Amino acid sequence: MSIEHGIRLGSLSFSKLENSGRLKDLLERFDWVYLGPEFCENLLENAVVSEIVRFQEKGKKVCLLTPLLSEKGLKRLTAVFKKLIKLRSAGRLDINNLEITVNDFGALELAERENLPFKINIGRQLYDNIFVLKRTQLRVLNRLALDFFTKIGINRYELSTIGIRPRTNFRDRAYGFNPKKFSLTLYYPYLNLTTTRTCMVGMPYIAPDNSVRSIDCDRECRACAFEVTHPWIKEKLLIRGNTMFIEFPDKFYSSEKELKKLRVDRLVYCPFP
Amino acid sequence: MKIVSCFSYLEEIKPLAQAGADELYCAVATLPHFGKPAALTGIGPLKTAVRAAHGLGMKLSLAVNGIAPEFTLKQEAGLLKRLAAADASGVDAFITASPSMFSLLSKLKPQLRAKLHLSSVQPCFNSLTAGFFIKLGVSRLILPNQLAPFEAREIIKLCRARKVETEIFDYRFFGCAYLNGRCHLHFPDHYTPNIAIRDGSMCRLNVKAEKLPALSCIETDPAWKPRLGPVMKRLSVRLGCGGAPRMANAASFFDFFSAGVNYLKYGTRQDASEIKIKKVRELRAMLDLVEKFSTTLPHKDARACFIEKMTGWDGNKF
Repeated sequence: MSIEHGIRLGSLSFSKLENSGRLKDLLERFDWVYLGPEFCENLLENAVVSEIVRFQEKGKKVCLLTPLLSEKGLKRLTAVFKKLIKLRSAGRLDINNLEITVNDFGALELAERENLPFKINIGRQLYDNIFVLKRTQLRVLNRLALDFFTKIGINRYELSTIGIRPRTNFRDRAYGFNPKKFSLTLYYPYLNLTTTRTCMVGMPYIAPDNSVRSIDCDRECRACAFEVTHPWIKEKLLIRGNTMFIEFPDKFYSSEKELKKLRVDRLVYCPFP
Repeated sequence: MKIVSCFSYLEEIKPLAQAGADELYCAVATLPHFGKPAALTGIGPLKTAVRAAHGLGMKLSLAVNGIAPEFTLKQEAGLLKRLAAADASGVDAFITASPSMFSLLSKLKPQLRAKLHLSSVQPCFNSLTAGFFIKLGVSRLILPNQLAPFEAREIIKLCRARKVETEIFDYRFFGCAYLNGRCHLHFPDHYTPNIAIRDGSMCRLNVKAEKLPALSCIETDPAWKPRLGPVMKRLSVRLGCGGAPRMANAASFFDFFSAGVNYLKYGTRQDASEIKIKKVRELRAMLDLVEKFSTTLPHKDARACFIEKMTGWDGNKF
């Protein structure tokens, strides 16, 4: 099987792409379209459902990204899940061509509660529970971590780009797990270093006498990403909304064969952090 | 509300109790834990600590909250033995975070006598996440510092219904800008330092604003261009020296207290002994204050008085 290719659209929408004339090229180049907010619940909107339908109608496979959730995000995600279930019942969604990526255990619980019929993946904010990811290493922590998620039906995990040929323990029998039990999706070229809820870009100052009701912002993250040259480190940091990224070099794998050894069978291009 | 304090050395137990701690927690070097390496070397000193804490009428929890414990099958067997030994030593609870640690501890059931607490490094921001971990046997949730009391209402309601305890950190002595347990800035796994960087200091950039190079924008949305100046200034100051906005403050503490959160935590194990003791005294003083205002004044007035008093609290002595 060849490597599948996807694109994470971020704030780009079907209409924006269509109006800018970039849609046709995108539809030709990518098998998968990744939609939805990966890092912030404030960007989770019902409109993502119609975007999913539009891309599926164009024959694309779609993955819905979901973020870390507070009670507010949970309500929003519940509404999105209910709509998806309704559309599926109406025959307007192809169950085999829609996956949901979760970045919160509450989303996993919600998917179970709602009997969500779609495949669930573990996202880039939860992979630390299963993998060690460093520039030179990609290792499964232990068999129990993998079993924990396998038992609840998870077999795809999403990670960010790392260096070429990281060392793995996938064939090390001492760990006692079966590497065929999981597949990896690799996002490139940005690796998410850290995330905050109190968004450095968007959230206003909180006075000592103010107990906030939620994360308040004007969606400043939609303005742009910021590049920061930090005096202590060689690489540049990139900040988009509540998340800090680092960019990896263009060439992060030598061949598709090498990727398959890493259990990577899907690559997701992120045009911006 | 009761006080839970960390300790690193056996000699700290008694003075922390005298300073006002109701419960203690620690880590041991032989079991995976989050943060700095533990000073207690293993099960032997742990047993001594349990005896000392119980002798003073305090419960003792053991942090086994390493988020990414890596182990082979052989190491798994050893880890299980050490967890069983820790349980047998009399610890009252294991503070856990990693799914694999939950799985390991479940192997000790039904003999497992210690309770399970969910560490804040596996952050719980909603009631369904709380429910997920309660199903795994958690009897206390340690809430992350980036959660507002208003947002925590459903979690607290659920916990009360399921008889699960809740715990928060003292806002004055804890609070990274980033999600605790999910931060890759902490160690240079993905970036190349130009200088020797102390662990964790990249999370608190603490570079003076004027020294921080100007930010540059990538792919600016034209509609935002006129409004970009203040956003850039805000980010620059926050990255440099201002820090991220803090949700945890005097007001949020009062609201968590009023909501009936059970425990207040101080958890900086690397602090020197005398600082730990001083800080626990500060926790006790704050609890005395909030209890005094809450029992003598109407809610609104108590809140205002507490916030006013705590806003004047001098943190420079630490």
